[in-house]
Amino acid sequence: MASSYYRAITFLGLFSLLHAAYSAAQHRSYLRITGQEFTSLPSDIIIQGIISLFLTMYGVIHIAGEFKEIRATVELESRTWETQKNLPSFYIFNHRGKALSPTYMPEYRSNGSS
Amino acid sequence: MHWSEARDIIRKWREENARNSIELVELWEDILKPKAYKLGDEHYLVLEQVCTAAFDCNRLDVATDCLQVLSSKFPGSVRIALLQVLHLEALERYDDALNLVDSIIKRDETNAAPRKRRVAILKAQGKTVEAIKDLSEYLKVFMVDQEAWQELCELYLCEQEYGKAAFCMEELLLHNPHNHLYHQRLAEIKYTQGGFENMDIARLYFCQSYKLNPKNIRSLYGIFLSSANVAASQKCTSSKKKEANQLSVWALKQINERYRDARGKNDEALDSLENNLGLLHLNSTTS
Repeated sequence: MASSYYRAITFLGLFSLLHAAYSAAQHRSYLRITGQEFTSLPSDIIIQGIISLFLTMYGVIHIAGEFKEIRATVELESRTWETQKNLPSFYIFNHRGKALSPTYMPEYRSNGSS
Repeated sequence: MHWSEARDIIRKWREENARNSIELVELWEDILKPKAYKLGDEHYLVLEQVCTAAFDCNRLDVATDCLQVLSSKFPGSVRIALLQVLHLEALERYDDALNLVDSIIKRDETNAAPRKRRVAILKAQGKTVEAIKDLSEYLKVFMVDQEAWQELCELYLCEQEYGKAAFCMEELLLHNPHNHLYHQRLAEIKYTQGGFENMDIARLYFCQSYKLNPKNIRSLYGIFLSSANVAASQKCTSSKKKEANQLSVWALKQINERYRDARGKNDEALDSLENNLGLLHLNSTTS
């Protein structure tokens, strides 16, 4: 499935990011033991860090869900007055829909003189 | 249909406030009811929705089943008590319903839902004037309730108080300046009110509605009719008349284009549309 594919990419990216951080820490402790001055990280660790950052971003973007339109009117464009005017708090039930139900019993009123 | 599809449809209807009561009850009975345990926490939301829908199409058997499950799960809940009010309403026992609602309001004075229900009961009894009075009292306390403003607008329209209805619609516009439907509705109310100034205002709101949503053909027709009306009015100054005429011609052209796009090159149908629009124009000028 597509979402599990992107999830795998995200985890791979995060794992690789952690790995890069661990490598950096290892590098610092190695320098301390051998008594060398720290100038900069080796380029392979930097490259790994940057690549895994982008990998994680790519994965997260795809599993975060659908994006919403930034313009305020777009979401409203598909709405119709039919749903807009329908207010659940003010429903009333004495309408003709009643006569369509299978259990409906019409009221027999005495006709009188009419 | 798989039960998860039915769940998604019902969820969509719940979020959109679609009323499709008969379809909803059918979906529930045929598909979702045997699988209800799979819904998790959403089960109770669906039950509430189905219960209301069942009252709406007078399926009291379905509704009482839902109500029993809900009231055994949540005894003493205000929301369930409101469903019981709906039950009384569906049985047309309005006095009992009113008493029950009043007791709920006394129990929890800050809750808006039972107060709105009271208005709905009055409306169901046909006492529109009392409902308006009650709703205005309610709006003095809960001023940001958009649903209530909209309902008040509808009630005023029932009483043909177009000026007051327009005021309610303006209040809604302040809450939702980006909603093209409210602009369109206000324009329609102003158009119904009639007279040169109202017609001009209607024209502006139709234009704004069309600007917010260029797919709204109803406001396009509105632009055409209201600007034709403005142009035909005797109070209209000559410069304004020219502008309104241009606008009506433009709107007519847009409408024609829309139909052409939709139908392809069907000239016969377009001709008849043009004739009918001509009639519409004539009617609006003679009235």
